[in-house]
Amino acid sequence: MERQVVIGLEIHLQLKTKSKLFCGCSTDYIGAVPNTNVCPVCLAVPGTLPILNDKAVELAIKIALGLHCDIHDNTRFHRKHYFYADLPKAYQITQYEHPIAVGGYLDIIADGRPKRVRLHHLHLEEDAGKLVHPTSDGRMTGAAYSLVDYNRGGMPLSEIVSEPDINSAAEAIAYITQIRQLARYLDVSDGEMESGSLRADVNVSLSNPDGSLGTRVEIKNVNSLKAIENALKYEIARQNRVLDEGGRLVQETRLWDDMAGVTRSMRSKEGVRDYRYYLEMDLAPISAKPDYVEKIRASLPEMPWNRRDRFIQQYGLSIEDSVQLTEQRETADYFEKCAAHGAPALKCANWMRMEVQRILHENGIDIKDFNVSAEQLGSLITKVEKKELSNTQAKDVLAAMNAENISLDEALKKCGACGGPVSGHALEEIVRKVFADEAEAVETIRSGKDKKGAKVKFLQGLVMKETRGSADASETASIIQSLLK
Amino acid sequence: MDFHKLSAKEIADGVISRKWSAAEVLTALLGRIKKYDGKIKAIVTLCEEKAYCDARKIDEMVSNGLDPGPLAGVPFLVKDNFCTDGIRTTCGSRMLYDWIPCYDATAVKNMKNAGAVLMGKTNMDEFAMGSTTESSVFGPTLNPRDITRVPGGSSGGSAAAVAAGYCPIALGSDTGGSVRQPSAFCGVQGMKPSYGQISRYGIVAYASSLDQVGAITRNIGDMALAMDVLAKPDENDTTCDAYERPSFSSASAAENLRGCRVGILSGFDKDSMDKPLIEAIDRAADFCRSAGAEVMEVELPVTMKYAVACYYMVALGDASSKLACYDGMRYGLHADGKNLAEMYKRSRNQGFGKEVRRRILVGTCVLTRGYYENYYVPATKVRQMIADEYAELFSRADALICPISPALPYKKGLVEEDPVRIYLGDAFSSTANLAGLPSISLNVGFTEEKLPTNVQLIGPRFGDHGLIALASVLEKYAGSPDIAELCCEGSC
Repeated sequence: MERQVVIGLEIHLQLKTKSKLFCGCSTDYIGAVPNTNVCPVCLAVPGTLPILNDKAVELAIKIALGLHCDIHDNTRFHRKHYFYADLPKAYQITQYEHPIAVGGYLDIIADGRPKRVRLHHLHLEEDAGKLVHPTSDGRMTGAAYSLVDYNRGGMPLSEIVSEPDINSAAEAIAYITQIRQLARYLDVSDGEMESGSLRADVNVSLSNPDGSLGTRVEIKNVNSLKAIENALKYEIARQNRVLDEGGRLVQETRLWDDMAGVTRSMRSKEGVRDYRYYLEMDLAPISAKPDYVEKIRASLPEMPWNRRDRFIQQYGLSIEDSVQLTEQRETADYFEKCAAHGAPALKCANWMRMEVQRILHENGIDIKDFNVSAEQLGSLITKVEKKELSNTQAKDVLAAMNAENISLDEALKKCGACGGPVSGHALEEIVRKVFADEAEAVETIRSGKDKKGAKVKFLQGLVMKETRGSADASETASIIQSLLK
Repeated sequence: MDFHKLSAKEIADGVISRKWSAAEVLTALLGRIKKYDGKIKAIVTLCEEKAYCDARKIDEMVSNGLDPGPLAGVPFLVKDNFCTDGIRTTCGSRMLYDWIPCYDATAVKNMKNAGAVLMGKTNMDEFAMGSTTESSVFGPTLNPRDITRVPGGSSGGSAAAVAAGYCPIALGSDTGGSVRQPSAFCGVQGMKPSYGQISRYGIVAYASSLDQVGAITRNIGDMALAMDVLAKPDENDTTCDAYERPSFSSASAAENLRGCRVGILSGFDKDSMDKPLIEAIDRAADFCRSAGAEVMEVELPVTMKYAVACYYMVALGDASSKLACYDGMRYGLHADGKNLAEMYKRSRNQGFGKEVRRRILVGTCVLTRGYYENYYVPATKVRQMIADEYAELFSRADALICPISPALPYKKGLVEEDPVRIYLGDAFSSTANLAGLPSISLNVGFTEEKLPTNVQLIGPRFGDHGLIALASVLEKYAGSPDIAELCCEGSC
């Protein structure tokens, strides 16, 4: 019998507040000059006291509600002690016995299968500073000294701890992706692994054939989804190999080495530190009264998974389309606005998945930076539906609207698509002109030598080019055929 | 004019009515400090220049017809664990010997905003850990009432300064008796308000859940005045209560104790107490009766049995946590080492004195897994029982009278011989900190050897006003203490 993979995840989300968790310092630390976003409180200058940022509590409750957690009133902070240069107080203010939220779950879809991952709890804590180990030759190791930057120290974090309900790397990735999606929907966190506003610690073990839990290994330093996937695959294989060879696993923390693609032992259980958790008496208990929590609940937007299901039902979208369109709240909002503007929903979905997506991708921009409003796209699609524009024309118009940040009318003029499609007599004139220019090809067709119809397509292409794509393809074809006779 | 004999109220009234100037008062009191402190050693840092600058500003305000506040031109001193902007704040420790804070503690700011003039910083036991003011890196402070004895501690410098007539008000911090016990030893009045009455912001912490700022004065009128200035909500300290405090000065105008029920503590080992202090309790009880109070004997069996053990578990556990930040990296003494761990070890070993290291070690131990469950957790439960016992008592009585210290001022050096006896000296005082209650050490006279005798008054949580009223009435009977008779260096 195969061993079951058992994974538990601890996700740290940096909360999107203006100031730090316990002082008024700015949270805008990325790229800031080291040690400029600091004050006596976050530097632990003697005599200073922490002041809890209410906004951070609100954001933590928001995400906890999104994860179906129970919110506890009157919860406390604890001090977690350890000596290290990134921690000015020599303790981190975190939550231990009384986290703000417990329980809850997240329904994910991995490998096409739905799955419910239960949550243990969610708590608030402050981030530590950052150590830099500069070397004269730019290498990663062998620095003669270390520098510390406290700009990140005291940043508000929400830690989400799952139960060990995750059973594959794919499920782990789906879980993290969905937490990230939720955090962004609720505007609680940027959820970017690259910049560190979302971080994950991974616990993995292999259950024994009898079903009992195996020895747990914690993996740290996994800084991207790819790294998590690779680290998990490596670690699962390593643990299987050790057990297959009759060896024993030790409970330990292992560091993922992304370059080498391996995990390395960092410290074993024997070295597990006693953090001397201790009630933080400098802070009054957090009060999250039921009416306050209900007010936050009422302010929550539609959850992404609910929206996904609604899109399928209300607009008749495919699962695939719906998943893609609800991935980002802004995209889903855009879609709904566009559809509300009179264009058929399926056409809107199609345009957004194909053309809008292509333009965004080519320009490396986000839907938030797209210059075409949902209303304008809706009007454009309506024009195509009414056959006032050809598809090709509409694509050009859309691209122009974004590139030059101009209105639909301006773009229509610019693309020469004001008059609508070329047809009837005008189109016949163009076909005649093409025939005159390409007499040889016309002769070849008339003499029956164009067996595969390549020359006809060639002529059609030229006509389309002359009409800047505004001609209807089937009308063009029938005029060509009639003039060939 | 003998400015040093004036109360804070008298000084301020004179400054506002332009009978004298703030600068004049300052000169007189600085002169007294310079004359006598070579022997007493209550002061560790004077900030004369800043003080004259502040005093002149007050005089200017007065001459411009502006009101500088209720403490206009009153010189004051603060214990050296109050952060003072631009003025060295050492906590009596080698660790912070050169440390200059960049901000004023809220208590200091409130005093200055009320027109008071900061003259300097007073000596203390290192990091407020001690009851004798002998563990300071600056050496011991002597008791101005008897220089062969200690002034008590840890706010010994502040209490000695007020007794010596350096200033009418000095501030201290009280974690287990550190304002009240030295006030008792030096024969002045000291108050530890309810936890949450005065902001702790800017007080270098000893134990977060016990620390409270307190004033030391020579009479309860000045105490009430100081409380009016100090007891305010503070946005920088969420443990400081936000309620609007009524006037403490009005409370101190009480005439009698009619309708007041006062409990007198019994059921403790009176034989191990110094006799004059038992007599002091009896005197205070008599005063209460004379003033119309109903007096009854009460007991606090749990509190008296477990307070000291409980106090040291709670205080030292917290101290080990709050003093962990002194790693020599950002401020304070830094010693080099081969690596980070060695730097930490050397910095902390060289920076902290023996008693502080002992308390950090004990505190670290009680928070360590295994010990935490067996020592710290039971201590927090006992702490709640003590608070409950007091709450029950205050359902029957409006105030409690008990000893503050079991002993008259110790002879110098006792702490070296018998540290446990010194720890046991906290048996009465620390109960108020554990339960968060207001407590006043009130002088009730002197022995034949001119050693001060005193009682402790304890009230219900946030019953600070009632307690000040009680102290004020009792003071009418006992009289407020005079300034210590001093002789300058070399002449005695």
